[in-house]
Amino acid sequence: MAFELRDITVRYRLYKERPTSLKETMIRLLRDRQWRYFSLFDAISKVNLRVPRGNVFGIIGSNGSGKSTLLKVLSGVLSPSSGAIIRNGSISSLIELGAGFDPELNAVENIYLHASLHRKSRAQIRDRIDHIINFAELSEFAYTPVKYYSSGMFARLGFSAAVDIDPDILLVDEILAVGDERFQEKCQGVFSRFLTKGRPLS
Amino acid sequence: MPNTITLIPYLVVQTLEYRDYLVQSVLRDLRTKYKRSILGYAWTMLHPLAMMSILAVVFSGIMRIPVQDYAIFLFCGMLPYNFFSSTSLMSLHTIRANARLFGQVPLPKYLFVLSLTCSNFFNFLVALIPLIILTLSLGRSIPLAALAFPIVVLPLLMVTIGVSLILATSNVFFEDTRHLSEVALHALYFLTPVLYRREDLPSYLVDILSVVNPLFVQIEFVRGIFFIGALPDPTSFLANLMLSLVILRLGLKIFKSSEEKFLYFI
Repeated sequence: MAFELRDITVRYRLYKERPTSLKETMIRLLRDRQWRYFSLFDAISKVNLRVPRGNVFGIIGSNGSGKSTLLKVLSGVLSPSSGAIIRNGSISSLIELGAGFDPELNAVENIYLHASLHRKSRAQIRDRIDHIINFAELSEFAYTPVKYYSSGMFARLGFSAAVDIDPDILLVDEILAVGDERFQEKCQGVFSRFLTKGRPLS
Repeated sequence: MPNTITLIPYLVVQTLEYRDYLVQSVLRDLRTKYKRSILGYAWTMLHPLAMMSILAVVFSGIMRIPVQDYAIFLFCGMLPYNFFSSTSLMSLHTIRANARLFGQVPLPKYLFVLSLTCSNFFNFLVALIPLIILTLSLGRSIPLAALAFPIVVLPLLMVTIGVSLILATSNVFFEDTRHLSEVALHALYFLTPVLYRREDLPSYLVDILSVVNPLFVQIEFVRGIFFIGALPDPTSFLANLMLSLVILRLGLKIFKSSEEKFLYFI
C-alpha cells in the first residue's frame, strides 16, 4: 500500500457578515444555535482511499469537487480536519509547478531551493543540476531570473525539478495544460518510466 | 507527533534535515536587506551607530545619566534588545508572508521564525564590530569576559525564539496582535535597563521587573561582559536560563499545536 486515507474530512469555516445589531445576534443564536458568524463547509467529507504500489490512480471530478484539496491532503500540505493518512514513501507533487520558486532567482538557484525544500542537500543536487536543466531544455537560460521565463519554460523547469527528486509517490494535478506537444511527450516518457519502476502515480 | 519530552530533540533533527533550506533562507534575507540601497550591508553597522549617537547626546548631554562613556553603555544594551524586538516584530508577518510557499510544499513552519532569528542574530553579531571599534577608540579595553558571549547570549536567543513563535501564531488568528505587540514592545523598552542602569530605578520596581521581565537581567548580562567586564552571577544566570527555556518550550508548544490550522485561516 503506497498510501491510505481513512475518513478524511477537510472542513472550512466560511465567515459571513458580522451581525450588525444585537437583534441579529440574538436571532442567529436562537436559529442556528451559535452566535459565531460562520458556517461550515466540507470540501471533502469522510473520504476513504487505498492506493497500492505500482499503480496509476486517477481522480476525476467536476470543478470544486475537492480534487486539489484531496491532493493537498495527500502531499501533507493541508492537515485534514479529521481522519488519518498513512503514507509509505517519499512524495513529490506536481500540483503547482514551480512550488516554492523565487522569481528573483535564476533556474539553477531555484533548483537548489526546490531541492532544499524536499530535504535534499546541496551536494546531492549539484551533480543533477545539468541533467535537470537539459531535460527542461533551458541551458541557454539557466542563469536568467525565472521571472523572465514564459509560462512554458517555467512549467518545464518545475516539472523537471520535481521529477528529479525521484519520489516513491508522484502527485499530479492538471499541470500538463501548459507545454507543447513535444514536452508533453517527454512527460509521458517520465511517467512510463515511473510505472515500470513500480511507483504509484496519482 | 512527539510528546513533551521528545519535542526538542525531534525539532533539532528536523531542523538539521532542512539545514540547506535554512541557510538559503537566511542568506536571502541578508542579501535582500540592503539590496537597493547605496551603502548596502554597511548599514547594519552604521544604523546602530547613528541611533546610539543620537541617544547618547540626548541622555548624557540633556538628561544626564551619570555613566562614564554612556555611548558604549547604551550600545551594549541596545544591540541585544533590538535583536529581540526586531525579531519579534518581524515574526508577526512571517507566516502570512510565506503562505504561498507552504501552501504548495509541506514544510515545518517554525523554520520561518528560525530563519528570521538567525539572520537577525547575524546582524547583531556584525553590529558588535562598530561596538568594539568604538570601545577601543574611547580608550577602553575589551574585557576578557566578553569571550563568554556565546553562553551569555543563550537565554536571550531562547526567549526571542519563544516569544516570536507565540507572536507569529497569534497573528495568524488575530491580526491585531501586531498592534498590541508594537505597543507592548515599546513599553518593554522602558522596562528594560537599556537607557538606564538598575540603580536608577526604585528598588521595588527592580525586584518586580527582574522576575517578570526576563530581558531585564539578560540585557545586564550582555552589558556586563562588554562594558564592565563582569561575568553574570551564576545563580541569577541559571535562573534566567531556566525561565528562558520555559518560555521557549511554551512558544514551541503553542506554535506546534496551532500549526496545522494555519492554512485554514489564511
